[in-house]
Amino acid sequence: MTDLSKTAFDRAVAVAQTDWLPPEAPLAMPRQVLERPEHGTLMSLLARLLMPVKRV
Amino acid sequence: MRFRAADARTRAIRTLAIGTALLLAALAAGLMMEATFQDGVQTLDILRGLLMFVTTGWLAWGAMLAVAGLWPMKAAARPRFDPTTGRTVVLVPICNEDPVATFARVAAIDASIAQAGVTADVAILSDTRDDMAALREREAFARLLAVTGGQGRIFYRRREVNTGRKAGNIEEFIRRSGAAYDYAVILDADSLIEGETVRAMIARMQADPNLGLLQTLPRILAARSFLGRALQFSAAFHSPVFTRGLARMQGATGPFWGHNAIVRVTAFAESCGLPALTGRPPFGGHILSHDYVEAALLARAGWTVTVDPTLDGSYEEGPENVLSYAKRDRRWCQGNLQHTRLLFAPGFRGWSRFVFLQGILAYVVSALWALFLVVSVLATIFAPEPNYFPDRYQLFPVFPDDRTREITALFLGIVGLLILPKLAIVAEAVMTGRARGFGGAARTARSVLAEVALTSLLAPVMMVYQTRAILQVLSGQDGGWPANARAEGRIALVAAVRAALWVSATGAGVLAAVWHFAPDLVLWLLPVGLPMLAAPVLIAVTSRPYEGGLFAVPDRADPPAVFTAYLAVLDGWAASASAGADAETGGASDVAA
Repeated sequence: MTDLSKTAFDRAVAVAQTDWLPPEAPLAMPRQVLERPEHGTLMSLLARLLMPVKRV
Repeated sequence: MRFRAADARTRAIRTLAIGTALLLAALAAGLMMEATFQDGVQTLDILRGLLMFVTTGWLAWGAMLAVAGLWPMKAAARPRFDPTTGRTVVLVPICNEDPVATFARVAAIDASIAQAGVTADVAILSDTRDDMAALREREAFARLLAVTGGQGRIFYRRREVNTGRKAGNIEEFIRRSGAAYDYAVILDADSLIEGETVRAMIARMQADPNLGLLQTLPRILAARSFLGRALQFSAAFHSPVFTRGLARMQGATGPFWGHNAIVRVTAFAESCGLPALTGRPPFGGHILSHDYVEAALLARAGWTVTVDPTLDGSYEEGPENVLSYAKRDRRWCQGNLQHTRLLFAPGFRGWSRFVFLQGILAYVVSALWALFLVVSVLATIFAPEPNYFPDRYQLFPVFPDDRTREITALFLGIVGLLILPKLAIVAEAVMTGRARGFGGAARTARSVLAEVALTSLLAPVMMVYQTRAILQVLSGQDGGWPANARAEGRIALVAAVRAALWVSATGAGVLAAVWHFAPDLVLWLLPVGLPMLAAPVLIAVTSRPYEGGLFAVPDRADPPAVFTAYLAVLDGWAASASAGADAETGGASDVAA
């Protein structure tokens, strides 16, 4: 294995190199649904069907 | 993608394990109620029975995991690695870490991966807030690039705003660069992994297109203190057995522990975009213990999530003292309690919900044990006077039955649930020859006994810490997600007293109250009260460096190659820094070549 420990380096040269960012290759990451919508449950739909009360 | 249900064998093991745990819990609760109902049924007695059911059920479940993992597991098939397909990136999210140690690990991992014939990029994803610390990271990164020749292959980026903490950090990478890779090996700042392990993980991904996440079982390296060595021993000796039990019950809904795992990037991207929960922290806001949720989301989307305890060459570091351990526990406690919001989230597999429940119980049970002790003392204080003449026309008095025998049997049964699985693991290790790596049968047995004694002493202290953490979370205190206290070592007695005086005071208060109100119970409560009283001493003593013969593990006698390489890099960097070698130029490209 290459001995990585005994190496000096030119910090000024190295830090000046700016191409440190990972490649630009976007990938969509949709937000997942983890909570049931408060008014979308079966029970609340039934309740609203039977008692269609308008919120004040 | 259609979800593959667990096979009949997995379902049978699950049913047997859960059923046995519930049965043992019911037996313990029944014994407790039988003993306490003799002077009439009181509300406190019913509460005691219920608490006994939950707490014993939890212990029994742990024992079942060990039993299920006792017999050896055949190593999974090792498919052929195809170097021509699939691009891999190793992700190292960091936040306020020691950059020299962290980047030295990256150098060692990078070299090991190259040696294994794998081509992989590395991306260090910094969430460090402090500008000076970030500057040190940039300097360390420049050194890393110079010594590895990793320009264009090893990346470093720092986020301006660290939304979503670690999960958000990885998410930001995937949103920016995810399409460039097929697989991502996710590590922690203190992780080490052998290149051969990475190669085997990629091969598994290549062979099974439905595999979304493959988790390894990391072993602890670099332990120095007595506590650290005990944890290292436990992780190397007990954890493989418990994880085998877990693996036998996981089906396609295995765990994710946040690091030392490989994910299929498309699966992760399409399934694991975590929303912030409605409401404010600690129960609302960003999900803290994101790994459990990501595993559940992958399984919900039909991907296979699996842990393979037979995959070797995966490492991490552990806490070195009780205070670091308690600090980590505070984070995990808040994160796991937040999962109460997700127990009934839409679409999750039943086993994923059960995993959430286990995570919650892991902390709640501590508080329930504390509550059980309080209720037991209260029940004794408020117990009605015995009625020696229950019948009106009675010549001789009726004395209440002595139930000490039942209570003692119950106590021994609970202790047995804690100790017997570990003794069974010793037997397994001796029979399979695994004990040789831990210093032979006798030394292994001594190490296990010492570890049991240590955990028994620390259990009441951890119970108090965890109960406090639960009360803090329930009262709405957000502990945030502070940086890990890595390499935090020895704690002086004075510092331990300052940090844990409140634990001693709690222990003293409990013992004094019991002595005053229910002196008969003092003897029963001494195993809990005395360690609490002595908490500062325990904390200080167990944080001391330990070089003795107990807690031998194979990795100490024969350190992994990647760890040896890491130490060499670290030593070299430290030496060159102290010698002012930073100013030197040249030579880097020679080594990189």
